[in-house]
Amino acid sequence: MNAFAPESAAAHGLALCHVCYLATPVSAGRCPRCGLRLHLRLRESLQRTWAFTAAAVILYFPANLLPVVRVESFAGDTSTTIIGGAIEFWQQGDYPVALIIFGASVVIPVVKIIAIVALCLASRTGRRARTMTRIYRVTEFIGRWSMVDVFVVAIWVGVVQLGNTFSIHPGAGAITFAAVVILTMFAAMSFDPRLIWDAAAQAEDPPQL
Amino acid sequence: MPELREGEKAICPRCVSPLLSNPRNSLHRTAALAFASAILFVVSNCFPFMTLESGFRRSEMVLWQSASGLAEQGYPYLAGAVSVFILVAPALLIGGLLYLLVPLLWSRRLPGAAFLCRWVLAARRWNMMEIFLLGALVSLLKLDKLATLTLGASFWSFIALIICLTAALASIHPRELWARLEMPKV
Repeated sequence: MNAFAPESAAAHGLALCHVCYLATPVSAGRCPRCGLRLHLRLRESLQRTWAFTAAAVILYFPANLLPVVRVESFAGDTSTTIIGGAIEFWQQGDYPVALIIFGASVVIPVVKIIAIVALCLASRTGRRARTMTRIYRVTEFIGRWSMVDVFVVAIWVGVVQLGNTFSIHPGAGAITFAAVVILTMFAAMSFDPRLIWDAAAQAEDPPQL
Repeated sequence: MPELREGEKAICPRCVSPLLSNPRNSLHRTAALAFASAILFVVSNCFPFMTLESGFRRSEMVLWQSASGLAEQGYPYLAGAVSVFILVAPALLIGGLLYLLVPLLWSRRLPGAAFLCRWVLAARRWNMMEIFLLGALVSLLKLDKLATLTLGASFWSFIALIICLTAALASIHPRELWARLEMPKV
């Protein structure tokens, strides 16, 4: 943990405030500008990231297996899961919508979880540090878009009120899915990409840029 | 960190992430856009977002009902999450920006500015209005097959709100905001 790149601020005992970006000697304890505690790197970054990711992986299964929404109408009850919703759009010929739902709800969470695991591993080896940092930035940006399915359910439930010819009820899949998205967001927030560069500096060969 | 002239941008030499940018007239522009966002936020929450007609029944949905509907159906936590993403975080962003920026126009700083600035910057990632809009478009396509849906005034002001708030956040860099809060007498 104590091996920082020789030209880095951390090697000179300077910490960047996590919130206001002011560089201060870490010995100061607290940021003089915003009052936050100073650390050279986010605290227990890897432990926290692994914990949030593991929780997200566990909840990923009920999120996909349980129905997100149940529609009651004359024709009877129909329950739909996340993937079922995308397939339904595809069968009705709404290919772009089917792809948006499939991408946001199925591809992005899986890709995001894989990316976070890859980042955690890269922070040990320090290989391909620049690519990995880029992956981190993209991961942080796209993860939120998975929430679209939860909003679809929220809007259906809100607009179709009781007393209509049909009624719509949210399912347990919706809340577990929202939890997966929130947990992966916390996982990305607690990861410190500078750890990859620390590992790259520690590795014997110079970092590959 | 070098001083940047207006319109310049600094990039990390190691991982090529953008570090700092200095957009033109950042303070006035951001304050104006935040003010516009505040008006649009009120409009978006006062008028119906969507109206649904099936048979003789007609139901209107105001923005917050997308959250309260979930609570009524036994999902209070999900309702809480949705209201944070589309109501609380945007309100905190808009209100916070105005509280910080308007006094800064006269080189003043109100009490609690540093504390609030922290919360405003944290609220950015939890503001999911643009994702909610995508969700609205998807549900529009879906429900259109079951009933007649019409878009309300709030839908259009919501789109304008997303544009204004995104522009407001893009026209000032957090580092510049902190630097200005630190030295109010510039």
